[in-house]
Amino acid sequence: MSLDTRTADTLVDDDSSALGYVAGAATVVSLLLAVAGVLTLFGVVGLTSTVAGFSVFELFGVGFAAVGVTLLGVGVASRAGVVETKPDVTAGALPMVVFGLVGLVVAGLVSSQTLGFSTLWPLFALLGGVGVAAATVLPPEDVGVTLPAGGLALLAGATFLAGLITPSWTWEPVAGSATYTGTFAVPILALFVGILVAWVGAEAYGGFGTRGRQLGAYLLVGANAVGMLSLLVVLVAYVVSRGFAPMTRGIQFGLFWEPLTWFYFPPIEEYVVINGPLVWFYWPFVMEGVALMNDVNGIFPAIVGTVWVVAGAVTFAIPLGVGAAVFLTEYAERGRFTQLVEISTNGLWSTPSIVYGLFGLAFLVPRLGNTTSLLSGMLVLGIMMLPLVVITSREALKSVPDDYRDASAALGVGKWETIKSVVLPAAMPGVITGVILGIGRIAGETAPILLVMVSDPFPSRATDVLAPEFSFISNFPFVHAQLLDTSALLQPTSALPYQLYAIITAGVGQRESFAWGTALVLLLVVLSFYAVGIGSRMYFRRKLDQ
Amino acid sequence: MSTGNRFDALGEIDRETQLVGATSGLALLAVLVAFLVAAQYAVYPLVAFVAVVAYGWYAHQENTAAVLMFFTTASTIVVLGLITVYLFVKSIPAFETMGLDILLKTNQPLWERASNTYSLAPMIWGTLLTTAIAMAIAAPLGVAGALFISEIAPRWAREIIKPAVEMLAGIPSIVYGFLGWVVVTEYFYRELQLSNFSSLMVAGIMIGVMALPTVVSVAEDAIASVPGAMKDGSLALGASDWQTIKSVTFPAAFSGISAAVILGVGRAVGETMAATVILGHQQAFPDPLYDVWEGTETLTSLIASQYGIATGTQLSALFAAGVVLFVTVLALSIGSQFVEARMRRRLGGEQ
Amino acid sequence: MSNTTQTDPNAEAANGNEQTTVVGETNEELKAEWVDYRFDGEPKFTVEDLNVWYGDDHALHDISMDIPEKSVTALIGPSGCGKSTFLRCLNRMNDRIKVARVDGSVRLDGREIYQDGVDLVELRKRVGQVFQSPNPFPKSIRRNISYGPRKHGDVNTGLLARLTGRDDSEKEEKLVERSLKQAALWDEVKGRLDDNAIGLSGGQQQRLCIARALATDPEVILMDEPASALDPVATSKIEDLIVELSEDYTVVVVTHNMQQAARISDQTAVFLTGGYLVEYDDTDKIFENPESQRVEDYITGKFG
Repeated sequence: MSLDTRTADTLVDDDSSALGYVAGAATVVSLLLAVAGVLTLFGVVGLTSTVAGFSVFELFGVGFAAVGVTLLGVGVASRAGVVETKPDVTAGALPMVVFGLVGLVVAGLVSSQTLGFSTLWPLFALLGGVGVAAATVLPPEDVGVTLPAGGLALLAGATFLAGLITPSWTWEPVAGSATYTGTFAVPILALFVGILVAWVGAEAYGGFGTRGRQLGAYLLVGANAVGMLSLLVVLVAYVVSRGFAPMTRGIQFGLFWEPLTWFYFPPIEEYVVINGPLVWFYWPFVMEGVALMNDVNGIFPAIVGTVWVVAGAVTFAIPLGVGAAVFLTEYAERGRFTQLVEISTNGLWSTPSIVYGLFGLAFLVPRLGNTTSLLSGMLVLGIMMLPLVVITSREALKSVPDDYRDASAALGVGKWETIKSVVLPAAMPGVITGVILGIGRIAGETAPILLVMVSDPFPSRATDVLAPEFSFISNFPFVHAQLLDTSALLQPTSALPYQLYAIITAGVGQRESFAWGTALVLLLVVLSFYAVGIGSRMYFRRKLDQ
Repeated sequence: MSTGNRFDALGEIDRETQLVGATSGLALLAVLVAFLVAAQYAVYPLVAFVAVVAYGWYAHQENTAAVLMFFTTASTIVVLGLITVYLFVKSIPAFETMGLDILLKTNQPLWERASNTYSLAPMIWGTLLTTAIAMAIAAPLGVAGALFISEIAPRWAREIIKPAVEMLAGIPSIVYGFLGWVVVTEYFYRELQLSNFSSLMVAGIMIGVMALPTVVSVAEDAIASVPGAMKDGSLALGASDWQTIKSVTFPAAFSGISAAVILGVGRAVGETMAATVILGHQQAFPDPLYDVWEGTETLTSLIASQYGIATGTQLSALFAAGVVLFVTVLALSIGSQFVEARMRRRLGGEQ
Repeated sequence: MSNTTQTDPNAEAANGNEQTTVVGETNEELKAEWVDYRFDGEPKFTVEDLNVWYGDDHALHDISMDIPEKSVTALIGPSGCGKSTFLRCLNRMNDRIKVARVDGSVRLDGREIYQDGVDLVELRKRVGQVFQSPNPFPKSIRRNISYGPRKHGDVNTGLLARLTGRDDSEKEEKLVERSLKQAALWDEVKGRLDDNAIGLSGGQQQRLCIARALATDPEVILMDEPASALDPVATSKIEDLIVELSEDYTVVVVTHNMQQAARISDQTAVFLTGGYLVEYDDTDKIFENPESQRVEDYITGKFG
């Protein structure tokens, strides 16, 4: 037994063994194959395109066969004591379940599809599953994991090399409406087998046992994290790559030396003209609406609509939400009442946005001019935001140490005065961060405004809410002053997310680049709110840590 | 109960403040009643309210502030209560017409204006399928991501991936829907030679990606709340980091992690735009039932696609769909809060 | 001489001369003066020039000491003197603290533990630790005890183990009984081994943690003020236990209770504020006739 030879120094691990190199190489190759699987799946690399004289498909076959043989070899070498490892007596439950399931699926597919047992295949599938599970769990760990993993890799490699599954292969299951093609199945198999084999390869690299399992688990969890990060990058990058050109189409700008101002100067009896640089900037996509005469149609009305609806929602939600949070944290006794409010705010925060839309449709729209309107949109989004503002403000207020309140109270300062001058300022960073994140959320919300705010899918003009006016009139109260054009509040308005939805429902076809441009602007608006929110939170945390 | 609290909180107050409180309260009540009955008159009591509060603020700021805070709480609760009431009231006609069949009817016709038949069963089934697909993606990957962030990642990696996950949560659902429709649906249609363009599978995948950040953030909070002393205890016994995660941290945080998954389910059930954009809006069951490559309908996409054309009982049936969603998600939310509270109690018990 | 306790460690390190004026001893002079402790037999730990920083805070200064095996070594000193930091260096638990930086040499049975490739799992198997406040896992008492052996693959139970014929339930029972008896807890819990350990009292929890450490069969047990959170009855039980354990194990105990150190330890190391080891000798010598004036002041309660 290899265990007996290992007496020299139990404290220090020797990483530079031959096993390390071989198993490490197998792990890296499997990971590469998995990545290649992803790339071919999304068509970044063609399955039949050639790399170094081989097609990618052939490389999958050769790669998996090689990795399979290597892993089997590592398992045998470890058992024979050729290399120094610390395997457990058994591979454990997780590999048993994983490889048992793989055995079940493989045996089931082979017996039903390849061998054509139309009724007996469940039996074969079960036998395969139990057999592989037993082969995993009964022998010591080193054999128990390398045998099924190596076998699987070898099987996949052989299947590809023998041409049982090729890029032109198709399989149409009797049930279901999909036809699985080789160009879909091969990358999926490569991804799946590659990750499984890399997992076992990492365990072997760590010499099995405690260390091996930790490495294997970290590899999987780390790969998952890398995957999530790539997902974000790919999503954003894709939208940028498709949307950047339409978004920036027709931008014109220039610097001109032009008269800034002029006035009559009596001593010389001349007009004095002061020249200066003027920056002129024209960005049609964000400055224009949709009109027949436009060279470049734009989404200006939608942007303005989003700004107004967010502003309105914030004006509605912040005073109510912060006020409620202050009352619940500072005034109300902690008990059933606050608990009830807490549960219901949490519940409402996860209530689907379309439900808020329905509420607006039933309650607000009939009362506010009986038409979809900006005001309804503001109120619905404000109501949607309310639970979040209450929750985050409460968190922030609770995290203000009681010492502050006590110190202020001990100086004879009243409760409200204390809240106003000590508690709220201390809680402000948390409140602001929560509000910013909330804005990001509602700015991208589509479902509720669909029901209560919008009507024209491609507006040419923006809603003009801000209309300051002042005049004297003949009847009471003799002055007419207004800052906001309230009738505009009762008109339907577009918004960025709705603009995107409108393009999709109108049929993407001809407007696809318009849609990508809109998606990019929306993404930029929302993600910049998130970036500011997350950034400010990190900043305040760091300041707190110091 | 709330009024009791209010006076508890205020303690002894003088007569004039009481008057300010009572008048402004009445005015606010009048605003509400006016808005409910005749919206155009709501502005008058509102002006009265503002005037009274302004006077109170000038004369007795300390107490007026407390009263005002109480009003904000009360109006928050009233608003939230109104949502519940209106949703239920509007759905009553549909329930009256269909009875329990609105949830259970599975034979044709399922959704037909001519016979005034509206069964939500196919939509519930569609929601179940998309949610199942979504959670098959979001639950394992989300929990693994949370483990990575709070236990495994070195500091620099955490500083990158944590904001990245939050940004992922920030991408608007309509953008996911657009990508799903233009890119993913198109891909599967081409690769799998599907007979119809839209599919529950694609909707489920996109919703899964959307639910992922919710699961990660909430599960990460739960894992991070396991006391460090407990982990130290395990490490000092010679357990490896992974063994500590597997045998101490994960079991101790299990309730919180399940709460995260439950919340993720809630997100997936309520996700609207991706489903609306991607699905084909057939109010029918897929055939066979598990054929996820058909684009039928979910509860949310039903509402979003039909609100414009629906009237009468049909509109009421949409509200019934809203009620089903609302009740489901509320139950999931309360369930997850309950599970989380239990975890906090259990971990707190050891001090 | 009573002004040295509450100062900031850095400030004191910088102003050492001013603050220890009475006998003209500076911290710099003190640090290696009376620490050359001789004893019979092999040292379990050999520490040389150990320095620890937490960020910019220099928490331990040039500590060198040998710790004899199968005995109780007490580390005493006022709060913030670095005695707990020193203890955590012996099983590298300081690695868990991101800002901590360790420099110097610690050898266990002659083998360096601060070098690349040291298997922390193996190290901590051999050097167990009991923490200041009890930290049982939220599992059954039985599972708490068998946790270490399970993780090291010495105990397997459950369905899978039964199916593969490797069920160690009996071994586990024996191990649990032996460890709990060693920790003087067996009589109190033998009827409820499947109860959650969180339900035990503080003193019982701490003895459970000691039993848990013993079950992994370590060579050294580090204890960081193991009785500070306990009542007098529980404390005396733990103290008796420590003395018993020293027959088979090397025990290193951090305490700020000088009477406790005097009662249980064979040799005592005195750390003083700022992270200096000032004197290290037989416990009797330290408490009856210390060399250092500052140690005498500390022990007689003039400060600290």
